[in-house]
Amino acid sequence: MFLKRHQPQAGRRRPLCHAAVLSAAMASAIGSPEALAYSSEDGSLQINGFVENATYARRDVGLSKMRNTMQIEGSKDYGQRGAFSNVTFVGTFRATYDAVYDLNKDQFGSEAGGSINMESVGGSGETAWGASDISTGVLGFGFDTTANPNEGLVNLGSAIHDTDGGVGMGVPVRPCDKDSRGCIDDYLDYDENDLKYPEFNDRLDFLREAYIDATMPTESGSVWNFRLGRQQVVWGRTDLFRVLDVINPVDYSRHNIYDELEDTRIPMWMATGEYRMGATETFDDLNMQFVWNFDKFRPSNLGQGGSPYAILDAGSFFRAMKNCWDNGCSVSNFAGGVLSTDFPAHVIGIRDVHLPDWSLSNSQFGIKLEGDYHGLGFSLNALTYRSQLPSLRAVVDNADNPFTVPLESESNDYLIAFDMYFPRVNLIGGSLDFYVDDIKSVFRVETAYTQGEEFANTLKPELYSESDVFRYVVGWDRPTFIPFLNERRAFLLSAQLFGQYLVDHERKKVNGIEAGIPDWELNHIGTFLIKGWYKNDRVSPQIIMAHDFKAHASTIAPSVDWLISDNLRLTVGANIKVGDGAQEFDDCRSCNPFPPFTGAGDPGDLALRNLAGYEPLGRFRSGPIGMAQAEDEFQVTLRYRF
Amino acid sequence: MRLLNTTLAAALMFAAAIPAQSATNEDVDNSFYPYRNGVPTFEGLKPGLVIDQSNVEQFKPVLDPATAEFIANGWTTVTVGETTSFDLHPNYVQATRDGLGKVKLGAQSGEIEGFVAGRPFPEEPSTDDPRAGEKLAWNYKYGYNWGDNAAIYPFYWKYKDMNSGKLERTIKFNFHFLNFMHRVNQEPLPEITPNPSGLFRAIYVQALEPFDVKDTQLLIHRYEDDLKRDNAWLYLGFQRRVRRLASGQVTDAFLGSDVMIEDFEGYNGRINDMEWTYQGTKNILVPFYNHNEQKLAEEDQEPDGYQFAAMGDKGDCFPQVSWQLRKVYVLENKPKDPNHPISKRVHYIDAQTFTIPRTLIYDRKGDLWKSWQIGQAHPDHHLPVNKGTGVAVDDSFTMIDVQAMHCTTGQFKGQVDPSLNPASKFTVQNLRASGR
Repeated sequence: MFLKRHQPQAGRRRPLCHAAVLSAAMASAIGSPEALAYSSEDGSLQINGFVENATYARRDVGLSKMRNTMQIEGSKDYGQRGAFSNVTFVGTFRATYDAVYDLNKDQFGSEAGGSINMESVGGSGETAWGASDISTGVLGFGFDTTANPNEGLVNLGSAIHDTDGGVGMGVPVRPCDKDSRGCIDDYLDYDENDLKYPEFNDRLDFLREAYIDATMPTESGSVWNFRLGRQQVVWGRTDLFRVLDVINPVDYSRHNIYDELEDTRIPMWMATGEYRMGATETFDDLNMQFVWNFDKFRPSNLGQGGSPYAILDAGSFFRAMKNCWDNGCSVSNFAGGVLSTDFPAHVIGIRDVHLPDWSLSNSQFGIKLEGDYHGLGFSLNALTYRSQLPSLRAVVDNADNPFTVPLESESNDYLIAFDMYFPRVNLIGGSLDFYVDDIKSVFRVETAYTQGEEFANTLKPELYSESDVFRYVVGWDRPTFIPFLNERRAFLLSAQLFGQYLVDHERKKVNGIEAGIPDWELNHIGTFLIKGWYKNDRVSPQIIMAHDFKAHASTIAPSVDWLISDNLRLTVGANIKVGDGAQEFDDCRSCNPFPPFTGAGDPGDLALRNLAGYEPLGRFRSGPIGMAQAEDEFQVTLRYRF
Repeated sequence: MRLLNTTLAAALMFAAAIPAQSATNEDVDNSFYPYRNGVPTFEGLKPGLVIDQSNVEQFKPVLDPATAEFIANGWTTVTVGETTSFDLHPNYVQATRDGLGKVKLGAQSGEIEGFVAGRPFPEEPSTDDPRAGEKLAWNYKYGYNWGDNAAIYPFYWKYKDMNSGKLERTIKFNFHFLNFMHRVNQEPLPEITPNPSGLFRAIYVQALEPFDVKDTQLLIHRYEDDLKRDNAWLYLGFQRRVRRLASGQVTDAFLGSDVMIEDFEGYNGRINDMEWTYQGTKNILVPFYNHNEQKLAEEDQEPDGYQFAAMGDKGDCFPQVSWQLRKVYVLENKPKDPNHPISKRVHYIDAQTFTIPRTLIYDRKGDLWKSWQIGQAHPDHHLPVNKGTGVAVDDSFTMIDVQAMHCTTGQFKGQVDPSLNPASKFTVQNLRASGR
């Protein structure tokens, strides 16, 4: 009835053959490395870059990525200009074409998805999309299946779970120019070309960097440094986790959480001022940095429903919900918790997204004091910014009541009809690093305390609540000789423990189900890296492992880097997930938003709460690793540098 | 017996801790100008002579064992040059005179007292002195190698298969050195302040090529206190972040080369980490030369016309430079750490400059593992900026792993130019600021 998790899908091609052909074509097209790299005679102008093919194949899916990239990096040194020295312009241009949308279009492109059925455990067992057990003819239920047909759909979360008596929704998965259902204007509304060529959009993302950097010495010996333009500002000392490194939003659609942040941070137009004091009587090094992000707000790209990488599969959920609001939708096991139900438009779903407009008050500002004190590196950080992740607030005031004929528009507590907001968040934090010689280890610590973040909360009438959050990472690095593996080159062992504590967490066990905030009150994710080098560092195997303790989900990512020449690097790897998979949470089917039709008590009456399922909130308990359980991949990347 | 040993040890330590009363201006002159009364000679050895397989037996007494074996194997030859004086800067010599009678070793290895600047122990070492090796190590540590500051700008490292001669990898760096303390020549003297942690020296490395290591930067802070570990940081361009390094792990191969971090400049570690033994004084051939008179490489020529020392012979692993018959101190260092990957190094320290042109490195079994050669060029026959600096300019290196038949060669453009090495370059923040 559903797309089964392990069922091979159509569309599997021969990705490695394609990769080889494309790589060969790229290499032959650019010729010698000197052909494109350029350095002026005086060295003030330098241009270089790389071309890359990244081909990933996913178990049971086939090709999941065939990204072809050209990146050009240039800098022009203008030397002294007036009061400024070291005036430099830096530009980085990146163009990408991901062929997966052409080569595996029945999974991720114009032919993706199909017709789906919805579970109805108390009725027909299963019903087709648009033909639910509760549908047209029953009060105000039902929707126009001409505008919202049973095609181009997949069942939400079907990659990792069956419906199992819970909520089930349909996700339109074709690019927005092929199927506009569920596309959220100015947020997740990518056409096929936007997905194939992600840098070429109205935010000029092909400009990875374009900034002017200048230094102004002062009489005291300190210097001011200014950097103005499109840039990344990197805070923090940890890998993978974003505790302090939150100034730039991130493009998770590129490769979920697994690509280097350098490649996934979304550059913003910013100004930074840095007062570099150097050594003082107390500190070996001391600096103050001011950051003003004056760019128009951009959220992180979570990955659109139907694209290969969507962190937490949130983009799919949003698309399903947006379609519900705009066009109506079928939902599994909804009415009475057992019958598939066709909701008309404007009842449940996502109504609107409130992206902050550009204004001075919407800009973002940060300050960092960083230094070194007798071998102890430290920073103190403060940032006021807009959350790059959306908050779903059930504050819709014009939702229709399908139990009334004609439909009545009203505002209902506990109704799963949302507007998206990106609340302002204030962050204070700090970081440390230090070396302990007795155990030949470096420790890295990073913490942040935020106010203003919002979380889904099924115990609140607005279905969200605010919570302060304390996040921290403790990292440990140790170069270690493992003689039986390599007598002459140490391995890098690196472990990190990331913790997140929701200070205002609220959760209750009600009638045997968990309700409230689905995110864990306190959770940890551990990572471990072991990396070695052979053949004079030209061959480097590594294994990265990550484990989400509460989600019981793990990732193992072995890979080998082979530096074939100074210009050509081949990386072959895999990304394998293991764990418990999907998790259940209160899905608010029994939140009683339309009393007395949906229940005798008040909206949100806890006595009525007894339904939980994988969707939609279990994703917050499964986390980014658990929600990607089905995304085991074999990965080959070939990069040619010039 | 144990008591006797303890008493003897204490007496020896006490004796060593007494200031070097015997060091005189005559010692200083002998130390800095060993060839003022003539250069060493060896029968049959004269400038222009080429030592090869045919005559190597005759000249073995003036060759270190590894070089003799390389020649005997037919891997390389040694061209003899005229022995010349590499006079160090007069301010450094004067600082040595100013310190006479004031400097002494501390109670334990790694401690020194009364030192301000110059060569701490200019007196001739004696095999009767149980801490003579340690004193030579201090003389090396506080040597005038690179003066108060310098840059190798740029610096090519090439990894080669010695059997096939295949060039596997070329890395282009800039290296910068700055002494925070014991400065003798460039203001501020004798110390750059503020210096809250008591840094002695800093090394800043920037990788320029190839692209995969471009923007990688390394910063090392060395404390004046020899018992403290260095601080080290790495900036990785692809992460855009500074990472503190575990600086205690100095036996790791640097960027996959044949060179350990601990090998830099001959020895790059704490004095206290090693047992130092002075093994005698010899006259042997070492790679000292005038850069401008050598065969120079055609590739990688600099815009100002500077050409790097050429490499050649087996595997292209040998600098094509001439060697001088010079007075050297043979100094053995043995790691105190039983897990150290080597059993010992034997340094041939040039007596005049206290640079280390030759070091033989033995594996844990005691077999020769690597041969480490750093060629020293006279500053007056090098770049114009180096003329008169009184710095023996590191100019070429080869680290040959004789067990793996692999080598890493280095070609320097050493520049003793303070403008290239401001103190601001040696801060952690500079890594972030310079990184892109």
